[in-house]
Order: sequence, then structure tokens, then C-alpha cells
Amino acid sequence: MAAGETVKKKSPTLDVNVLLAMLIDELNQVNKKLDSMVELNGKMLKTQEEFLQRITNQSYRSEAIKLEPDAMTLLSLPRSLRKTVMALYKLKEATAEDLARETNRLRAVESASANQLVRMGYLKKKREGRKVYFYIG
Amino acid sequence: MKGKVISVHSSRGGTGKTVIATNLAVTYANKGLNIALLDLDFRAPSLITVFSKGIRGPVKHWLNDFMSGQCTIEQALINVSEEYNLSGRLLIGLANPAIEAIQNIMGKSRAWEVTAVKKLFSLRSTLSNDMDIDRCIFDTSPGIQYSSINAVISSDVSIIVTTLDSLDIKGVQRMLAEFYDAFEKRTVVLMNKVFPQTRIWSNGRQKELISQMEKALKHPIIGVIPCYCDVLQAKRASLLAVEKLGHPFLRNLEEVAEKLEHIDWINKNRRRCFGKGNFE
Repeated sequence: MAAGETVKKKSPTLDVNVLLAMLIDELNQVNKKLDSMVELNGKMLKTQEEFLQRITNQSYRSEAIKLEPDAMTLLSLPRSLRKTVMALYKLKEATAEDLARETNRLRAVESASANQLVRMGYLKKKREGRKVYFYIG
Repeated sequence: MKGKVISVHSSRGGTGKTVIATNLAVTYANKGLNIALLDLDFRAPSLITVFSKGIRGPVKHWLNDFMSGQCTIEQALINVSEEYNLSGRLLIGLANPAIEAIQNIMGKSRAWEVTAVKKLFSLRSTLSNDMDIDRCIFDTSPGIQYSSINAVISSDVSIIVTTLDSLDIKGVQRMLAEFYDAFEKRTVVLMNKVFPQTRIWSNGRQKELISQMEKALKHPIIGVIPCYCDVLQAKRASLLAVEKLGHPFLRNLEEVAEKLEHIDWINKNRRRCFGKGNFE
């Protein structure tokens, strides 16, 4: 081999499209896991509430849990949550995927943000078939 | 670019916000565009006085009624194009100046404010799809209060009108940092009532002033309107764009309208708010 000639390493012949497909597959699995974790968390909270309700013999879920995401309140929310509420003002009701399209963020980010807002009492969600819709109550 | 919403806001009263909003609306309508001009200053309504000559008979529906769900936006808008001989349609939505109506608005709950902001967001599609409106202009109340915040967050671009008074400038700086940046709104600043025309144009200070102000406010300046004595002396309720066609104030406003047309409505990066070569 002549001096100065570079040796090209042969990389494993993996098509870029295959790699991307694998990546999308992995991301979808992460999304599914996040969704199931959020769902599980919700169930745990519900069980906890029912338990507290039973031992205190009164409604644990008070009216105070329902909060209004008005413009002034939005200022006190973290930027990421504020963005989700702003998108919902526009879309009225939306899935995490619709929100992601509006905000240009990942679906998983929107799902986590919207579920956080539901737990905080600012949003409500409903299930229609396989889809979960978030809305301002 | 149909159905875009522009809010006109200021940090304090007396900057000329309503004069800018009303004359901008008439300037657009004179060019043949269909415009909706909404008075969202529910605490100090003024459009009813400015357009008093163009309103025939008693007002049947106010914007207050629309916000409370008691009428549709079509019912709350009054067409004044014929009265002012405009080539495009100019529809105005009036805030109720009655003291009971103002008290009523001041006592509204947070839940009502949420409904109000949702109504303003949904207004855009009704205006552009059902009513063929090209631009909607919100004349807001000064400072940070529900009616102005709701208007600003539901608009596509905000024009903050300010004078060179240090109280105004400090107020705008605070408002931009604590409110506008939090909502990532596309915002431009319009400097109004700037010291006498001759002093700016004769020594070429305009560019220097713009660059200083852009540096201080970290937002683009869309225009500098000098302080014209006859504009100041004219009644605030008068419509210059109808009564004094060709006035230099209106030429300044036409330039602002032109620059607004070149705003990148999609780009959220405020530093690249204008299209190529249109700002200078």
C-alpha cells in the first residue's frame, strides 16, 4: 500500500432506512411504556384516594382539585406545561399526538405534560376507543 | 395570511393605542381588505365614541354579550364601511360603556376568563372562514389585566405602542420580559409621539434611535411615528384616516401596515420576525 493512502474501514452494511425504522420502533415502545406508566400512576392515585376516602369516610377529591388554567395562572406554570395549555386553547380537545403536531414537540413530551396537567387539576381527559383526548374542563 | 389577528397593546394609557388601532383598521379597509376591529378594553371602552358617526341606531349586541355567550360574533359586529366610504369591509365590535357592564366584567371569575380566551381563539376561524375577514385587530386595555392578556395570547402578532417616556419604556421592558417572552408571542414595538419630526429627520437620528431601542427592548421596532401637533390637538375620537387623508401620520401608519404584511407569521423566532429587506 502506498504511503498516505487511507484505509477505508468497512462498516457493517446496515441500511439507513432499516436503522431509522428500528429507531422509530424503539421510540414507539418507549411511548407505550411511558403511557402505561402514566396509566399505572393514575390507577395508584385513584386507589390511594379510595383508601383515604374509606378511612376518613368523606370525599377526598375536593372541589379545590379542579383548577382554572386562566391566562394569569398560565404565567405561574412551567414553560413546558404552559405550552400544552396554549395549544389546547387553540385545539379545544386533542390527543397527545395532536398536541405534539401543534407544539412541534415529541408526542411523549406532550403526553407527560398533559397528564401532569390532568393530575394538577387544570385539564381533563376522556377515552374514546383507543384514543385519549385532553381538554380544558 | 387570511384571518390573522393583530393585538394593539401598551404598558400604560395615553400612548395612542386606540388612535393606532382605529386608523390602522381604516388604512387596511381603504386598501380593500376586510377588517374586524374589536374593542377589548372592557373597562374603558372607546370605539363607540370614535365610530359614533358610523353607528346607526342603538347597539343591539355588545362584545360583552358575545364573550358571555349571549350572542354570536356575527351579531356583535357592526358594518361601518358605507358610512366611511371604505373600499373593504370594516366591521367593529363594541365594548359596552355602561357602568353596570364594566362592573359586571370586573367581577368575572377565573372560569369565565378561561371561556373568554377560548372564545377569542376560536374567533379566528369564524372570522376568516365564515365572514371572509382578512385581518382582525384587537384594541386592548393597557397593562397586564385579564382582557389585555387574553387578547394578546390569542393574537398572531402584538404591536406594543410606546412613547419615549422612561415610564413607558421601563413598563414595556418589564412587560416583554415577564409576560410576552413567557408566552413566546411574536411582538413588535411601535414608537409613537416621538419628539418633533424635524429633530429626527434632519440629523438622521431615526436609525440610531431604532437601533438603541431594539437593543434595550430586544424586540424589533416596526415604526417611529413623530409627535404631530395637529394629531395631538385633534380630538382622540376623530378618525384621521377618514378626515385627514394624506396626513404624514397616515403615511407612517401605511408603512407600518406594509411591514406587518411582511411579518413571518409562521416563524416563532422573534429575531427573524421580518421578511428580507422589508424592515429598513
